[in-house]
Amino acid sequence: MAKETPQEKSTNQILIEQLMQNVGKISAIIEKEGQNIFGHKNLLSNNEINDYSLEFLELLTMLLHAGDKVDRRGAEYKALRQFFTNFSQQIQVRGGDMDEFVRYVHFLQRVFLENLEADKSVSFEKTREILMLLGVIFNDIILDVFHIYLEGKEKTIQAQQEELRLTSTPITEIWDGVLTLPIIGSLDSSRTMIVMEKLLQRIESDRARVVLIDVTGVMAIDSQVSHHLIQMIRATGLMGATAILTGIRPEIARALTSLNIDLSSVTTRSKLSEGLKEAFRQLHIEVSRPGK
Amino acid sequence: MAEGIHLTPIGDGNVLLEPGEGLDPSDPGALVAPVLEFLQTNEARRLVYDLKNVRLIDEVYYAWLTKLNATCRIANVEMVTVNMQPAAAYALSLTLDKPTPFTCALDIHHLR
Repeated sequence: MAKETPQEKSTNQILIEQLMQNVGKISAIIEKEGQNIFGHKNLLSNNEINDYSLEFLELLTMLLHAGDKVDRRGAEYKALRQFFTNFSQQIQVRGGDMDEFVRYVHFLQRVFLENLEADKSVSFEKTREILMLLGVIFNDIILDVFHIYLEGKEKTIQAQQEELRLTSTPITEIWDGVLTLPIIGSLDSSRTMIVMEKLLQRIESDRARVVLIDVTGVMAIDSQVSHHLIQMIRATGLMGATAILTGIRPEIARALTSLNIDLSSVTTRSKLSEGLKEAFRQLHIEVSRPGK
Repeated sequence: MAEGIHLTPIGDGNVLLEPGEGLDPSDPGALVAPVLEFLQTNEARRLVYDLKNVRLIDEVYYAWLTKLNATCRIANVEMVTVNMQPAAAYALSLTLDKPTPFTCALDIHHLR
């Protein structure tokens, strides 16, 4: 069994030496690939790519100098990961996607391996160790980038959901004291809460007497949705306004019947226009054509 | 008059009830008698309960309102609540499983 002699270089030392000897070549290759990946979409300028490449090599050298084994809690390792976190965030902000970044990180790893391959003095054993070391470092970096990408996507989805919530429940005063609330999509508990809060505040501020709740845009109804609708109608009534439910399509009516939902205490009309007529009737408003 | 209850005849057979500090809705029995006496003395036809300063209507407060309404009915007086606050209406609607036995109006100017 071959024993490691004290003179034998460690994995880190081999990598550091390779970096030192070929720093010009490595940085040139990295910069060129960086320009290929990020330059064509103007994600980064040439100067930025060069700066990032040099900073990466510096941080990697510092990490290799820090000890024979990669200390995941060490300041050097944290600095390298932070560098890639900032780098990927910048790429994302400028409209780049994760594929490009992962491709770049893989390329960095490949540069070292290709360089290693060219050096015949490195034993198979050492090559394997270096490969594992690079695998550990770059896998962590890719995972970090992936988490950042996911967080960014989640934030975007949340912002879009919030915007959709706000825009999908426009409460409009269509006549003095008459509000319309078109409901589009489905009504879950959190959306009901938001809609009800907005509706009750509008009833108070506009001194509304009638609210037309139009469900033409509700694609499906289940017991939960109908329960939320009844809750909304009841809260409207408590405020002293009358709710009129309009736009109940045949499929919705059939679903309500099969769910045994009793809407007998609720004023319903087939269309929004019919609902408006009912509101006028309740408010003793007569609308007529001029001259008639 | 019972503590925390302020009654004012506002004309046309209407009496305005404004609940204030000190009202204890947990003992409706002690509160309804003096209210009813005032209504009958003033020959009221409608009791207008102002909820403007009531931030939350919980089960205890709602029980007081329904008890007062039931008593008014016996005396042939209609009870109407006005100015229910949005937050109170929202919270109450979550607990109710049937319509309120009393009428709710937007405010005193919108009494039917």
